[in-house]
Amino acid sequence: MTEPVAEVRDFSLSLVRNGVRSPVLRHVDLDIRPGEILGLVGESGSGKSVLALSLLGLLPPESHPVTEGRVTVSGVDLLAAKIDELRRVRREVLGAIFQDPMTSLNPTMRIGRQIGEATHDDAESVRLLETVGVRDAELRLRVYPHELSGGLRQRVMAAIAVAGRGERSDGKEARPGLIVADEPTTALDVTVQAQLLDLLRELRDDFGCSVLLITHDLGVADQIADRLAVLHHGELVEIGKAADVVRNPQHEYTRSLLASRLTLTMPRDERFASTSQAGEGDPEPAVSIRELRRSFGVRWGRGSKQDIVAVDGVDLEIAAGEALAIVGESGSGKSTLLRIVAGLDRPTSGSVTLAGDGGPQMVFQDAGSSLTPWLSIGETLGERLRPLKLSRSDVRDRVTEALAAVDLPPEIAKARPGELSGGQRQRVGLARATMIPPSVLLCDEPTSALDASLAKNMLTLIRDLRARIGMTVLFVTHDLAVARLMGDRIAVMQNGRIVELGPSEQVVSAPREDYTRALLAAVPEIVEGAAS
Amino acid sequence: MSTTLVPRWRLKPVAIGGAHMARPTAWALVGLLVAVTLVALFARQLAPYNPIQPVGALNLPPLSAGHLLGTDGIGRDLLSRTLIGIQVSWLSALVVVASGLLIGGTIGLVAGATGGWVDSLLLMRITDLFLALPGALVAIAIVAALGPGLFNTLIGVALVWWPYYARIVRGETKALAARPHVEAAKLAKVGRVRILTRHLLPGVVPTAVITASLDIGNVVLLLAALSFLGLGQQSPAPELGADTARALSQLLSQWWVPGIPGLAVLLLTLIANLGGDAIRSLIPVRR
Repeated sequence: MTEPVAEVRDFSLSLVRNGVRSPVLRHVDLDIRPGEILGLVGESGSGKSVLALSLLGLLPPESHPVTEGRVTVSGVDLLAAKIDELRRVRREVLGAIFQDPMTSLNPTMRIGRQIGEATHDDAESVRLLETVGVRDAELRLRVYPHELSGGLRQRVMAAIAVAGRGERSDGKEARPGLIVADEPTTALDVTVQAQLLDLLRELRDDFGCSVLLITHDLGVADQIADRLAVLHHGELVEIGKAADVVRNPQHEYTRSLLASRLTLTMPRDERFASTSQAGEGDPEPAVSIRELRRSFGVRWGRGSKQDIVAVDGVDLEIAAGEALAIVGESGSGKSTLLRIVAGLDRPTSGSVTLAGDGGPQMVFQDAGSSLTPWLSIGETLGERLRPLKLSRSDVRDRVTEALAAVDLPPEIAKARPGELSGGQRQRVGLARATMIPPSVLLCDEPTSALDASLAKNMLTLIRDLRARIGMTVLFVTHDLAVARLMGDRIAVMQNGRIVELGPSEQVVSAPREDYTRALLAAVPEIVEGAAS
Repeated sequence: MSTTLVPRWRLKPVAIGGAHMARPTAWALVGLLVAVTLVALFARQLAPYNPIQPVGALNLPPLSAGHLLGTDGIGRDLLSRTLIGIQVSWLSALVVVASGLLIGGTIGLVAGATGGWVDSLLLMRITDLFLALPGALVAIAIVAALGPGLFNTLIGVALVWWPYYARIVRGETKALAARPHVEAAKLAKVGRVRILTRHLLPGVVPTAVITASLDIGNVVLLLAALSFLGLGQQSPAPELGADTARALSQLLSQWWVPGIPGLAVLLLTLIANLGGDAIRSLIPVRR
């Protein structure tokens, strides 16, 4: 039984991107043993997803892959295999769960038919759905993917991935030997993420299949993986027992990955906490939200209309210079609340009062789409200065100054958003929001699309800017660790209401509400000294 | 659904992938569009004879000495008539498409960016009204009412042509207006007009240009058809559709007299359509 399910031997790969051939993987050696969960971690661009595609035999032909070495799954070299052979291996041995469960399910097919493609039997489909923890499985067979939540969709994917492979060519009833899960929890809330990780472990225990779990989060990997491989710029820099890699990393890169993790226990920088006391003679809060409600009318099927309440009576006051972090899962109404404060959406009832001038400014979640693609960075930033009617050279000076404030060189002003990296784009977004001090800075998950190290830089930058110009900050995030770091106070939102509000240290260390406790418990933490 | 693929907006073609046509082929077809436009612009200089005066024997076949494409029933040079005919058809088609793009694009842009009742009650219902009428028939009716003639024909066709662009541009604008970059611009207190011209318009241009270029062929055809019915350019001035119609009785005896202007229409339409396709494959469009 020591024969590995999948073997990657001296595997190098280059792909053509934007007309340029560049190496993606370099001399990767990897074994996946039967019944193990192998975690594969690395930052974006490290080549981990491409390795997953190679293991599924799904390298995109339009990027003209050139490969060296071998990728063997159950004895078949996927790089050299004929199309029939490949299909057989995929059908009998492999299962896949991808990052975005919406795009990996066919939106025009009912769930039952999609699982049926693997099982050819409704009773079996129902049994599988129950195995992966879908309640009312029989009813779910008749719905379309868009009618399910993100967590449920990922469970359906898991059900398809572990579906029986029917008669194998050697006559035995087979289960998949290897499930490749590419960031299966990234799009999910922490509580759902925890459930899905449990599910993967159960599937391994019940069916004895191996799992290749690709993630950027070392905490996730530590929680579930038996062994851990670290990929950096296409090279495998470290592989070993998960507990060893996480608690006693050998390679420098692994150490830096660990160091850039944001945790609930990392020290907060106390010098920022003091800024809120600075404006003591100012009784007027910077932002006051009264009885705020926002509901959306949604039409269900034929005729019947139903109101969905996104924000359900929120009262909140933010003092001048204070930073408040709002935490909640998707659908809790935190983004809607932020958009109303920004003036991008109108409340159904209630009011928002902003003190001071400068107006609200916002840093968006997706920096790429928040910058106009055909305008240069200089033009975009310059637009903020138009009301001031400055001369051309003054505008250029102010733009250079604003870029310098977010650690970007002045040449960036000539570039277009498409030429910048994700981190640079988000800095530009921050520069635009703060180049004229806003009355309140609204941040909508500005780091959720960034790698851990970049995210950390970004957060430090926001805090530095806040200290420099004494901004009031409203920070929306789903990540309690980020909230604790950024907020003087934390507000926990659930179903449109604020269920807990208090000083951030207190909310994290001594939560009053069950919901807050559940959120905290679901955060994947690396517990020191728990190595076994 | 936040794929962070950032589109390349500039006209610089992407090197590999996406294009349905080989890049050199596409550029060659665009070159053909330019060539036809140049021919149309300089038709007077290129034409060897006066297209209205009889200059040779009657009904000379193509490749006759001095008359490359032959002559028609009253001895006019067919090459000269066809060249001037191309000028009239092609430039008219460009004018119609450009004016359609201008009217329709402006209405679509304003409707898409403003939204609310201006969009749904006013502008788009007017557009729907025009779309609901059979275009060619309305054009004929307008021309008949204004009186036949090239200028009136252009007005007639332009009036029925803009709603398509209004629809397309409005849809594209609405999609763009929902993107965060427009919200960010609003937060930056950028004025309405500037949002329209700087943050929305450049994003709509590729789609609009592609649609328009694919449309030139249709307009050439419609104009020829109207002239064929006697509503466009009046005789004796050369017009491809009218020339074909007038000489139709000669089709069996001297095929080239109606055939050559007819073939010219075919060729123009073909070049316009292929060129439009080529432009589409060269402009990367956000999806």
